Amino acid sequence: MDERQEILSAPLTFNWTLSYRCNFTCDHCYSRDEVCNELSTADNYRIIDVLAEQQIPFINFGGGEPLLRDDLFDIAGYATQCGLNVSMNSNGWLLDSKVAQRLRDCGFKSVGISIDSPEPTVHDQFRNMPGSFTRATHALDSLADSGLKSTMSSVVSRINYRCFQDLLDLARDHHVTQIYLHNFKCSGRGFKNRENLDLTPEEWQTFYREALATKERISDLIISFDDPVIASLPGYQHQSMVKGSSCGKLSLHLRPNGDITPCGFIPVVVGNILKDDFETIWFESPVLKAMRSKVASGKCASCSVFEDCQGGCTARAFATTGDFNQPDPHCWK
Amino acid sequence: MKKPLRNQEIVWRIEKRRQSEALDALEAGRDVDELGTVTLIQAGVMHQLNLVGGMVWERCDGHRTVEDIVDDLAGEFDVERGVLKNDVEIFINDLLQKGWLTDG
Repeated sequence: MDERQEILSAPLTFNWTLSYRCNFTCDHCYSRDEVCNELSTADNYRIIDVLAEQQIPFINFGGGEPLLRDDLFDIAGYATQCGLNVSMNSNGWLLDSKVAQRLRDCGFKSVGISIDSPEPTVHDQFRNMPGSFTRATHALDSLADSGLKSTMSSVVSRINYRCFQDLLDLARDHHVTQIYLHNFKCSGRGFKNRENLDLTPEEWQTFYREALATKERISDLIISFDDPVIASLPGYQHQSMVKGSSCGKLSLHLRPNGDITPCGFIPVVVGNILKDDFETIWFESPVLKAMRSKVASGKCASCSVFEDCQGGCTARAFATTGDFNQPDPHCWK
Repeated sequence: MKKPLRNQEIVWRIEKRRQSEALDALEAGRDVDELGTVTLIQAGVMHQLNLVGGMVWERCDGHRTVEDIVDDLAGEFDVERGVLKNDVEIFINDLLQKGWLTDG
């Protein structure tokens, strides 16, 4: 089977940053220091036309804080009309009951709220925003009241890895049915604060063993991971259609000016969705091809797990070494 | 079994390029059983159907009977009708059990 046959006709998901503007300055943020022109509402509609034509079923707005775009509801509504499934991640600060209802009315399928610690003071300090924990939990309650599905997103780091069970309880308390435990990415401010926030490979292994066991044990809450480095652990069930990072295989990222990158954490532009032919980007980009055909390097070269993990998270390898093919720095093997 | 209907909660897409490649490969006499041509996302989990499965799935619109679907596909594939009907029924029954189809 050749390489072309193995990739899908188009990504399944576009993670879409409408704006890098944010009302928070979180310690781990990949994008807080990014500067980028934003497109008009009309141009964002043109992007949706491209996504619909390519039959890309899912878009997820991230950022930056999506709710800082006044036209978010219009853009989401148009995307929904075009048949796309729309979701977003928010810090929750601007999300009250009226906003929750508007989000539901314009077609959002789910909304994720970021909460990084079950301890209000720790969360507020990490997000450099007093009162943000209370606003975030109120946002979850508003979403639940509106009938819109809510999820909770927590980036696993040194501030929460020992108490993630409490995060699960927090999710339950606010009627959340799915929690995303995102792996820490050393990009942007996350790179600058890496020594204070990132775990050691051995700590990652311990964390994931417990998280996998918990995921297996409980049934009232869906725990989702997105970290290819866990492929070597017992209890890991491979449910993705691809091995290794899904970036560039199942998903792509859109910057506010229409530039496409493999993911939000890899600042390498592979084309512009309004200026370039999408299929040429998807099938012919040398960057995407390199990410889909990683070559085992360093300790991966002699590791039996490489076939399953494909070197782990490509974004982390790239951020720390400048080379897609180097081992994920979180790997404990 | 009346008129099978796709579960509306399942998001799905025909992988057009792969489907075209599979049809070309089939024409050339190669085995295409392992090549996914339709992608389904159900409860956050992705699945793929091969060429024949995908063509059956496309036709499970709640308007066609299994007989209609078999008639449609009989014109596409060089296979004895009884064998095709048996395969289609097994496939549809499997998806009914999984909840991916309902008996419309």
